[in-house]
Amino acid sequence: MTQLRLSRREEPRPVAAVVLRATSGPVVMLAALIGLVAFLWPFAVAPGAFSDTTLAPWLFAAVLVVVVAVVLAEMSHGGIDSKAVAMLGVLSAIGAALRPLGAGTAGIETVFFTLIIAGRVYGPAFGFILGCTTLMASALITGGIGPWLPYQMFASAWIGLVAGLLPSARGRVEVALLAAYGVAAGYLYGFLINLSSWPFTVDPGSTLSFVPGAPLTLNLHRYLLYYGATSLGWDTGRAITNVVCILLVGPAMLATFRRAARRAAFRSAPEFSAPRL
Amino acid sequence: MIRFDHMTVTYSEQSSPVLRDVDLLVEEGELVLVVGPTGAGKSTFLGTVNGLVPHFSGGTLAGRVTVGGRDTRAHRPRDLADLVGVVSQDPLAGFVTDTVEEELAYGMEQLAIAPDVMRKRVEETLDLLGVADLRDRPLHQLSGGQQQRVAIGAVLTTHPRVLVLDEPTSALDPTAAEEVLATITRLVHDLGVTVLLAEHRLERVVQYADRIVEIHRNGRVTYGPPALVLATSAVAPPVVELGRLAGWEPLPLSIRDARRSARHLRQRLPAEGREPVRGRTGGTPVLRARNVVVRYGPTVAVGGVEVELDAGRVTALMGRNGSGKSSLLWALQGSGPRHAGTVTVDAPGRPGGLDPARLPAGEARRLVGLIPQTPTDLLYLDTVAAECRQADLEAAGAGDDRSSGVPALQLLEELAPGIDPLAHPRDLSEGQRLALVLAIQLTAAPPVLLLDEPTRGLDYRSKEHLGAVLGRLAAGGRSVVVATHDVEFAAKVADRVIVMAAGDLVADGSAVDILTASPAYAPQVAKILAPAHYLTVDQVATALRSTSP
Amino acid sequence: MPRNLHPVAWWIWALGLAAAVSRTTNPVLLGLVLAVLGLVVANRRSEAPWARAFKYYMFLALTVVAIRVVFRSVFGGDISTTMMHVWFRLPSVPLPSWAAGVQLGGPVTAEGTFSALYDGMMLGCMLACVGAANALANPKRALRVLPGALYELGVAVVVALTVAPQLVESVQRVHRARKLRGRSGLGWHALREIAIPVLQDALERSLRLAAAMDSRGYGRTGAAPTPVRRLTAGLMVTGMCGLCLGTFGLLDASTSRTVALPALVTGTVVSVAGLALGGRRVRRSRYRPDPWSGPEWGVVLSGLAPLVVLWSGVGSSLIGLNPSTFPLTWPSLPVVPALAVLVAALPAVISPPPFRAIDPSRCAAVTARPNRSEGADTGSGRLEVPA
Repeated sequence: MTQLRLSRREEPRPVAAVVLRATSGPVVMLAALIGLVAFLWPFAVAPGAFSDTTLAPWLFAAVLVVVVAVVLAEMSHGGIDSKAVAMLGVLSAIGAALRPLGAGTAGIETVFFTLIIAGRVYGPAFGFILGCTTLMASALITGGIGPWLPYQMFASAWIGLVAGLLPSARGRVEVALLAAYGVAAGYLYGFLINLSSWPFTVDPGSTLSFVPGAPLTLNLHRYLLYYGATSLGWDTGRAITNVVCILLVGPAMLATFRRAARRAAFRSAPEFSAPRL
Repeated sequence: MIRFDHMTVTYSEQSSPVLRDVDLLVEEGELVLVVGPTGAGKSTFLGTVNGLVPHFSGGTLAGRVTVGGRDTRAHRPRDLADLVGVVSQDPLAGFVTDTVEEELAYGMEQLAIAPDVMRKRVEETLDLLGVADLRDRPLHQLSGGQQQRVAIGAVLTTHPRVLVLDEPTSALDPTAAEEVLATITRLVHDLGVTVLLAEHRLERVVQYADRIVEIHRNGRVTYGPPALVLATSAVAPPVVELGRLAGWEPLPLSIRDARRSARHLRQRLPAEGREPVRGRTGGTPVLRARNVVVRYGPTVAVGGVEVELDAGRVTALMGRNGSGKSSLLWALQGSGPRHAGTVTVDAPGRPGGLDPARLPAGEARRLVGLIPQTPTDLLYLDTVAAECRQADLEAAGAGDDRSSGVPALQLLEELAPGIDPLAHPRDLSEGQRLALVLAIQLTAAPPVLLLDEPTRGLDYRSKEHLGAVLGRLAAGGRSVVVATHDVEFAAKVADRVIVMAAGDLVADGSAVDILTASPAYAPQVAKILAPAHYLTVDQVATALRSTSP
Repeated sequence: MPRNLHPVAWWIWALGLAAAVSRTTNPVLLGLVLAVLGLVVANRRSEAPWARAFKYYMFLALTVVAIRVVFRSVFGGDISTTMMHVWFRLPSVPLPSWAAGVQLGGPVTAEGTFSALYDGMMLGCMLACVGAANALANPKRALRVLPGALYELGVAVVVALTVAPQLVESVQRVHRARKLRGRSGLGWHALREIAIPVLQDALERSLRLAAAMDSRGYGRTGAAPTPVRRLTAGLMVTGMCGLCLGTFGLLDASTSRTVALPALVTGTVVSVAGLALGGRRVRRSRYRPDPWSGPEWGVVLSGLAPLVVLWSGVGSSLIGLNPSTFPLTWPSLPVVPALAVLVAALPAVISPPPFRAIDPSRCAAVTARPNRSEGADTGSGRLEVPA
């Protein structure tokens, strides 16, 4: 069936592969709020409130599982087109196959770059789902299922979703926009993922550790120092990877993805008519 | 069973219809062969049967298609999944799961068939296709023939009454293709399944067909019994062409029928065919390979091959899958591994010759050019013109005067006239893509050109064209090697044939000698006219012209 | 009879044990848990590639312990060491003003180190539990328990697992083919020259796959009637509101217990109900579903036993579970919790042994099979198995 459609016509913007319906708005908003707490609770928790640093990451991981499941169910409500599912599968495979290549080498993390460009071309809902499926496929391949997985899925899903919501631009401006977003996303992801494990990994007796109930400034200060000491270099590697990949391969990839979107003609309505004699 | 009621299909970006006013009825239990040149709409025609066209592809379908009483306007492909099974060219691309058993069950899971029924049907299908011992194997590790049989099995488990196969054997070697075709004919005869089959290499299937649909370039179709349609069709297997040439009535479709009719012709012809394309006398050797060994772990792919390639000749390298053809080509080019032995290629100003494997890649391709099995692996830009410009840069890169100096775009125009330079390389037909990669490789002007399975997916006309191109290249003094399964193609183009088996050369000689010596490698014409040594219909025509007063 | 235990049973067992572990920092008890995990994994893991995961999780666990101890030693905040046993003093480095409050270097005390070590061991032990589940449960089988509402997600992941090894081959093939155009070496150019053909191949493949899926009945699911859809959407929004309320409630001391936990529980229940209702639109059957019978129950109960005992505090004191590090005391072995942990070792015996005949490559998605495809003459570089 590959030879079915041949077209080189440049179209303004291909249709999103998965529609983000207006009715999904509340669920997505609520998910964002819950995610905010799940990641940022060490800064916001009041003195005397829930502060079990061992249990909290697990509890919020469980909450995020439910949240991610609900958002995904909401987005796929009414079914996802087979073309979109196949493309999600293939692109997740690319992400999952790329991931071990860079793992452990100076933060070279190639997942986000595919995710950002795919989210940009195929729309926010596709980006969100792709973020989830990529990380999930990767975890299944490498045996990496654990409490960190919901955090990673949630964070990368948002990277994909926001990539789909970036303002419209063309040509060099678009590539520059995506590259800038790549830097921001690279750092933000590292910042959030490290934050999710910070209360858990660092001994409370250390002066870089989370102090339950302490004022925001103290914990933020301590976390920034911890982050700078442990993962800033790593995240810089990730940000640089994103920028370099997007600048070098981004234009060609955007063109390839858009071409694929045109050929797939997502949700194009078939037409029927009376016999022409 | 299937009723096409004045069907016309038009894709949204195109002004003229792909198929025009198709009006025919396919009866239950028939095997219908769909023929036509590449790009004429065979895939579109097959796609209309289960509604992929237009539900999946977009576009407009005028008229009506009904399958087993269900109208495709109201039934999407998924709603016809229990009735129509579809098998594509590349089975691997259509697999959803990764093991044989799960793949066989996938379709039934979608139809919500009860688990115990599923279990029973999977077992039946494993037996029916003879793949029971493969049940736990990962799909991507199976051979091409096994994969295709699993793909057929995977659609059979839902017990469809119609089977649609779009060139199921195009990626297979002759043995695997025979297995698959034997499976298909058995299904028709044992289960009474209605089969629609598109196939390039008609010589393999035409004898099994009950009816033929021929699709013309203008989108019209002809439908009728094989002998009737083939008498005038644009594409025909050699047996039919010979029959047309000799004016046999009724037109024979199998070797057996043709041999009966050919008694008279055999007497008229001189015993040796004069070889119009084989007038080129062997030149001097330009490439010498001594004791080439290629291993993959414990497996020996090429075991000490000695070969010399002469300038100005086309050599066909034949042998079954896994016999080491590709490995040998890659080793000769220097990019692939070579664990022992030497390869030397004549180079101007270098009396001893050069070993391409010791040269940088950019230099090696000036000595030996290779077109890999998937030529698209070499393409990464978004227009034909950009690819050609890049090729010119690459050719000029080394900066000496040994390159051809001919721009790639011009070479391409000579090889395949009329390609839009602004087209995306992936939108070209198989033949055009091959021509593009050939043009790119020819910018380096290598004296030795190697092609790995270039005829995959090409129709008769494209093969004819490729054969002519290769002949011209050889006539220009190049040494051309074609690894191929396609006996008819080898018969048309080759001066010399080398047969490999298990990493060794088992036969090496002139095309006539090798191709008429064994039935496995004999083209249809040779089989019909044996013991006379003829390989192609053209040779017979020339001989007839020279003998007739 | 050898068979694969239901993956969910393994996960419940492992998570039960992990939750139990979270109650104790007693190194003896934690050592016992590790021994139990090791025994079960050694006895019941298959030969599939994921079964090797346990080793990596042990490394990860050691890393967590190391991070804890090192951070405690290097950035330790022990201001007053009067009652402590100081082992040695790291040179104290004065930090600039922006890092005020952080102490770099200083005394390293036995109390501090042991406290960090015990806490680290607890966390490491929890990770080891997760690792055991990863090693024991078949991840592809686990995908099957995804609720119907996430059916498409599951399909996409299955497709990803299927396509990933083919992509690795595709990359190798394209990388090799580049040389034919005289381009070698790995630079930033290589990225584009390899990425684009592979990507184009993959996208074309996805379109062919989609056509095949459509033809084979994918998505043959009736759309749910409008009232059901509205109800589903309503349940999901309500559930999410509950979860939102719950998580925000956790942040505040006054609402933490009274509002947050009930809201979280209600939110989860309502969300799950929404998922279940939404999943009813998907009508399909399962080929050879994993059975859930005696051994599964046995494994689940044996994992829940330590959870119940340690959280109820039966037969042990808080001191027994969390030995004091200030002052340092020898940890003792609390008998009842130890017995409960030993119960969790039962799966080594009561669960059925796994298939030993699993072809390891069956699930080897990204485990490289170096260059074997080069020897094959088949199309698109696919692997030809020598007879």
